[in-house]
Amino acid sequence: MKPINSIGGQELREMFGAATGWLEKSSADIDALNVFPVPDGDTGTNMLLTMRSTIEEAYRAPDRSASAVAYAMAHGALMGARGNSGVILSQILRGLAQKLADKETFTAADLASALKESSAMAYRGISNPVEGTMLTVIKDVAAAVEAAMANNGKDLVAVMETAVNAATESVANTPNLLNVLREAGVVDAGGQGLQTILDGALRYLRGEMEQMRFRKPQIIVTDMHATKQPQMLAADEIPYGYCTEFLLKGEKLETDKIRKKLEKKGESLIVVGDDSAARIHIHTLDPGSVIEYATGLGTIHQVSIRNMDEQHQDFLEMQKDKGLAMDTAIVAVVSGEGLSDVFTSLGVTVIVPGGQTMNPSTKDLLQAVEQAASDKVIILPNNKNIVATANQVQSLTEKKIEVVPTTTIPQGVAALLAFDYEANLESNIQIMTRAMAAVKTIEICRAVRSVKLGDLKIKKKQPIGFLDGTLLAAGADCLEVLNKMLSELELGKVEVITIYYGADTKSAEAEQVASNIRSQYPQLQIEVVRGGQPHYNYIVSIE
Amino acid sequence: MAVEIVTDSLSDITPEFAKELGITVVPLYVRFGEEAYRDRVEMSTDEFYHRLINGPNLPTTTQPSPGDFLDVFKKLAKKTDEILVVTVSGMLSGTYQSAMQAKNMMEEGECRIEVIDSRKVAMSLGLIVIKATEAARTGANLDELADLVRRALPRSNLVVYFDTLKYLAKGGRIGKAQGLLGAMLSIKPILTIKDGEMAPLTRVRSPAAGLDYLYNFVSGFAKIESMAVEHSTVPDEADGLVERLSKILPKERIYRAVVSPVLGTYAGPYAIALTVLEAE
Repeated sequence: MKPINSIGGQELREMFGAATGWLEKSSADIDALNVFPVPDGDTGTNMLLTMRSTIEEAYRAPDRSASAVAYAMAHGALMGARGNSGVILSQILRGLAQKLADKETFTAADLASALKESSAMAYRGISNPVEGTMLTVIKDVAAAVEAAMANNGKDLVAVMETAVNAATESVANTPNLLNVLREAGVVDAGGQGLQTILDGALRYLRGEMEQMRFRKPQIIVTDMHATKQPQMLAADEIPYGYCTEFLLKGEKLETDKIRKKLEKKGESLIVVGDDSAARIHIHTLDPGSVIEYATGLGTIHQVSIRNMDEQHQDFLEMQKDKGLAMDTAIVAVVSGEGLSDVFTSLGVTVIVPGGQTMNPSTKDLLQAVEQAASDKVIILPNNKNIVATANQVQSLTEKKIEVVPTTTIPQGVAALLAFDYEANLESNIQIMTRAMAAVKTIEICRAVRSVKLGDLKIKKKQPIGFLDGTLLAAGADCLEVLNKMLSELELGKVEVITIYYGADTKSAEAEQVASNIRSQYPQLQIEVVRGGQPHYNYIVSIE
Repeated sequence: MAVEIVTDSLSDITPEFAKELGITVVPLYVRFGEEAYRDRVEMSTDEFYHRLINGPNLPTTTQPSPGDFLDVFKKLAKKTDEILVVTVSGMLSGTYQSAMQAKNMMEEGECRIEVIDSRKVAMSLGLIVIKATEAARTGANLDELADLVRRALPRSNLVVYFDTLKYLAKGGRIGKAQGLLGAMLSIKPILTIKDGEMAPLTRVRSPAAGLDYLYNFVSGFAKIESMAVEHSTVPDEADGLVERLSKILPKERIYRAVVSPVLGTYAGPYAIALTVLEAE
């Protein structure tokens, strides 16, 4: 690769033009990532529209100096900024323009110092900066580029490479910084957008314009799986209010003062600009009072007030195409935090809390079915007392409902795993029912009262064991019961034993039980998982 | 003059087999740090998997350059005036683009070249290439061969048992199988290639259950033309599958292959793949 020592205004706008084209290809994917600050699914589109306005203005620059083009870009971005991410993007471009002022062309060192200014500027516009967003990404990029200047000072391509690598790493790390991203199993949408823009710029510098026509930017994936589905957020019914944005033109505007005044009126406030034009963005329940305040300061333009609750609904629609790409939704009845996580991580759309000690009502199940983003729903009752309830749901909904009559948690997991992504609903019911029958379940709990059953004399609170729902053994402790029951089973064809331990069982004890089983059956794969279920000390899957 | 057949190393056709059949295989590159090796030519599968498992850094991969294809085209143009190129899925690699660019660099009238994006990978591509080569030997012309390939591709079904999706995800080729990541139980994913990218089929909990799934996969087809079984690091398990399959399907040919280093970068160790080419 030929090093590039400096570039002028023409290349600057071509570079960002290429980056905008690159962003366009994945703006829909970026929309689908959007969960913060409001899951309204428009980040990619907003950044794209902001960039388009930026590039349009770039070509209206009075001359081809880097300084004139950068200034025009910053102006275009401010005028056309859309949404939170767009406004932050405009701040980044403004920082760039400030450091490139008076420069005919710029070097790698200029770019490094400009990025640093961009980062500072981005933070300055936000009243309450949140880490794990595009702010963090621009900060990490600026820091990485500054550090790299010491080594490879001259080449713009190398500097941009450093920037892209830092952005990629930073975006991948966003779920670690921001809880809502981790729960949704996605990276930050705005950060991803910024990474895509930088990546597009790098590809331009490398002269890969031709290849870019045939390629698409990669969305950074996180290996954290969604533990909360977006549908569940909707169930809380938090009012999101109105996303209110406009451009304020006037004289001697004081952005700091405006920011201070508006801070109490809503969330996600951004006020950026200069003394003649400011862009204002706020999520508020009362857009009227914000507008009223602003009209007292000057004239307002490009006013946009959108109902975010509606946007959120559209976003949920969009989610249907995402994730596990199942066109069938699965509803499972599960209790225990750990078990709920297991089922969710394996693709269950809605969890209905319940089980042995708490049977959900038909209404609970119906609600879950209606909430699931599909017309075809499979229900996994996971308890024999819930199968009949589940069977009643079909007559109450327009959706097509099938029940795989799982009576234990391990049966539910086995059925869920066997789900075939390419098969139709009917074949899937067959496949899942067959898989459910291939697993054996041991459940161990404490007797609620003293009882005599055939040869078995059971004292109150003594550990007792069920095999597929039938009481088979009692013992002094859980390990003894489990061992008795395993010794009765034909384990020749068994490969995996999974031990889910309950809310009242210590992990150290569970590990002890597992290592005991492991030493007796060294050929088996033994897995210990915290199920957190009530009632059962242990639920053991044998498959 | 017979039509010459060209493919890339992601067809998993070994150099020896290619030589025997007269197929030109253009290698991709596998890169460990600064060192780039031509897939299978400069790095054997054994050496590769050893480094993949034991080495400190994961390898990366690069498509062949247009120049690599141009060299091949120029050379073949001396002995034929028709070349058929069938490449790995364009969704997984830029190889198709390189081949197209090389085709456009050839001079007018120098040689007729047809480039097909197979939207397949591994032996689901390899079996089609072998089929085309056999037809080329019997005198089929370029148009007939291209038609044959286009008709056969949808009948080529790939199913892959992965021990882990780590390598596929790190390499950015996870496609629609992304939803299988992050499971809170240890699961073994089974994927296929659909519309040119990797897509989930189902999940199992042990290697033996994975082999059973592959074995049962053949029961979904009324008539089978041929099959291929390949592995990344577990030859014995793959041989065992071939043995089981040949008992129920004694007449159908089962090709045996090894996942190439460039593909192994994404498949990882312990992977086993089965391709079923359905009869027309």
